[in-house]
Amino acid sequence: MTRHPLRLVALAVGVAVAALAVVLALQVGDDQLQAQPRSELLGDGAPDFVVTTLDGEKISLESLAGKAVIVNFWNSWCLPCKQEEPALKEFYERHRDEADFAMVGIIRDDTKKAAGSAVDERGIEWPMGWDPGGRAALDFGTRGQPETYAITPDGLIAGTQYGPASVEGLETLLAAARGQR
Amino acid sequence: MTRRLLPWLGLGLVVTVTLAVVLWPDGAPSDSARARALAEEFRCPECQGLSAADSSASTSRAIRADIRDRIEAGQSDEEIRQAMVDRFGESVLLKPESGGLGLLVWGLPVAALTLGAAGLALALRRWRRQPAMHATPADEALVEQARS
Repeated sequence: MTRHPLRLVALAVGVAVAALAVVLALQVGDDQLQAQPRSELLGDGAPDFVVTTLDGEKISLESLAGKAVIVNFWNSWCLPCKQEEPALKEFYERHRDEADFAMVGIIRDDTKKAAGSAVDERGIEWPMGWDPGGRAALDFGTRGQPETYAITPDGLIAGTQYGPASVEGLETLLAAARGQR
Repeated sequence: MTRRLLPWLGLGLVVTVTLAVVLWPDGAPSDSARARALAEEFRCPECQGLSAADSSASTSRAIRADIRDRIEAGQSDEEIRQAMVDRFGESVLLKPESGGLGLLVWGLPVAALTLGAAGLALALRRWRRQPAMHATPADEALVEQARS
């Protein structure tokens, strides 16, 4: 076979362009942030959030130390949040009296008035924190709502759930926060 | 000779000075320009194809406020980028990272261009080497014969 430099160069260019097309297709094919299945914070220390509940009580990560904490980012207008409400209610009823358990809702991208009305009308009983400026939502690296985080008694993120949670999913998160799995 | 060159020299000087004035960086950027430039580097985490600078989504607003706070606190651009990556991962960066898959995104077009240019140079050299074709008397005789 005779060596043909031009053919070799053309082949190399073709390979490079094809490889670039594949890389770009992989990059552009989906929204990487939305598609990302897990939080960057998993296994790291939870953000030291401070929120004030609609009843005026201040809740911080520090004030919940020693408890397995479920943090749920929520708002009044989001349909998936409404969809997961029955599961959250059932889960909260199961565990609310346990001394080492806490559940906090954090309002994300909503007005205080709309969130307050929704909490009253829908009979949400767990503390719902107002997050001015979306500070806590940013520190948790949230991409939307609902998002649920499980925090261990010593403040590490043990699990996350993007999108509506089920009772089973919440139990799994709590077990992870308690180091049971 | 020198007098003929003078207008060209003058023109060259004017162009050089103009380019220098337009392109020369005028000192360190202001805090707000820095904040804007950084926000343009981050992908809006909850929308499609927008930077945190261009989106009005709540997370993008929070990102912009956070960048301003961090600049005020004296953090460097690199520290601010790292803080965003720590929360959202590398995919928050609109510009591909310079390693891993990002290296391919940057490197492949350059490789394709370089190889293409090399191929073109080779082809030109080959064409130049080929002898020019001239009609021989025999060719001309053939044409004449065909015409008659």
